[in-house]
Amino acid sequence: MKDEEIDDFLTRAARAPYDLKPETLQRVADSIKPSLRSVRSLPPTWVMAGGLVLVCAAVSLVGAARAGFFGFAKMDLLERLLVFPALVILVWLAATEFVHAMIPGSLRRISPGALLGFASVALLAVFAFLFRDYQTDHFFSIGIVCLLAGFLHAIPAALLGWLLIRRGFAVNSILAGLVAGVLGGLAGVGMLELHCPNFQAAHVLVWHTAVVPLSAAAGALVGWTLRFRSTSSAGERSNTK
Amino acid sequence: MQPDSNLDALMARYQQGDFDAATDMIERISPQLHRLFLAHSQSRLDADDLLQETWLRIHKVRHTYRPGEPALPWFYAIARHVRVDHYRKSVRTAIGERQLEAMSEEVATAPGESDHTDGLSALLAPLSASQREVIEMLKVVGMSLEEVARATSSSVGSVKQKVHRAYKKLRETMSAAGFSKGQSGGLS
Repeated sequence: MKDEEIDDFLTRAARAPYDLKPETLQRVADSIKPSLRSVRSLPPTWVMAGGLVLVCAAVSLVGAARAGFFGFAKMDLLERLLVFPALVILVWLAATEFVHAMIPGSLRRISPGALLGFASVALLAVFAFLFRDYQTDHFFSIGIVCLLAGFLHAIPAALLGWLLIRRGFAVNSILAGLVAGVLGGLAGVGMLELHCPNFQAAHVLVWHTAVVPLSAAAGALVGWTLRFRSTSSAGERSNTK
Repeated sequence: MQPDSNLDALMARYQQGDFDAATDMIERISPQLHRLFLAHSQSRLDADDLLQETWLRIHKVRHTYRPGEPALPWFYAIARHVRVDHYRKSVRTAIGERQLEAMSEEVATAPGESDHTDGLSALLAPLSASQREVIEMLKVVGMSLEEVARATSSSVGSVKQKVHRAYKKLRETMSAAGFSKGQSGGLS
């Protein structure tokens, strides 16, 4: 059997009349009529993504201003020219995908999982190229502090980002949470690059980069919790009927 | 298979609070959505509920549609969300509602209520839920590959792969069942 014949069968089956009761349609129309009023549609993607980039930049800068710009001061020109533009590009990419995750029917250029992988690998590549000090002094004790500091800045960045585009609607809250986490994580990495003067390769590669997957996991967990609560409360309502 | 541009214009008017445009859209989109729900649910009653729930959700988030963007994928993305959400809710409430569920199954299979013998549903029955969904959007609704990708929050490549696998399965099933060109095979 050829594909054209299957097409033919599908077309004939699809052409079969499909009647929907007029009262069903009327009920739908009646249900929306009382609250029908003019609404303002969401702004273009680039406006919302631009707002998200500004939020991330603000969180990174405020965090680094409070802790000190020691990392930025220690960096040479090449390091500054590679690290920060790379971060801006990744933040822009994550911001665009976050906006797409909050608008139904958006065309996804990259899946959330691929975004997480790409952001992590890109950061690893830039850090591996720039930082060549292979000593590992106080690897865990200092590393955990940086990971926590980055994560604690990822949280406000993701929350403020969500507040900015809260008028959107996530058709998949777990994936939207994951993308928000990646975005927040990149803001956290931005703060660490501005602040942390520890340029040991292992430290930067492991603990700075780890902020992104950690924040993404936390974001996905929040998304899952929201969905779980939503279905649980619906279930409880159903059980009490 | 209706042109999408008119739908985009209706959607813009709906956002302005035009009830006639809303009614026109309900009449145009609802049969397609209902058919999609019926293919995935237990009964016409379930499909009716899902349709109502979908329109309430569409109404609530109608500001997320942006003029100039294709409207059909936007509708189907929301409908898909409502259907998946409904499925999760039913799974979560299944344990506490076994008796009620048994009753609803009786209702669902009562004569005159079930439409599972619909030709298209029967033809697509061997496919997985995601393959069925993609084939319905492409072949029944008449969406393009990009529109299906938008509606299912996936890439065009992923949609192509699902279509390829679905056709392979359909080819095997229909050949085994002895379908041939010019034969309706109980499809209509």
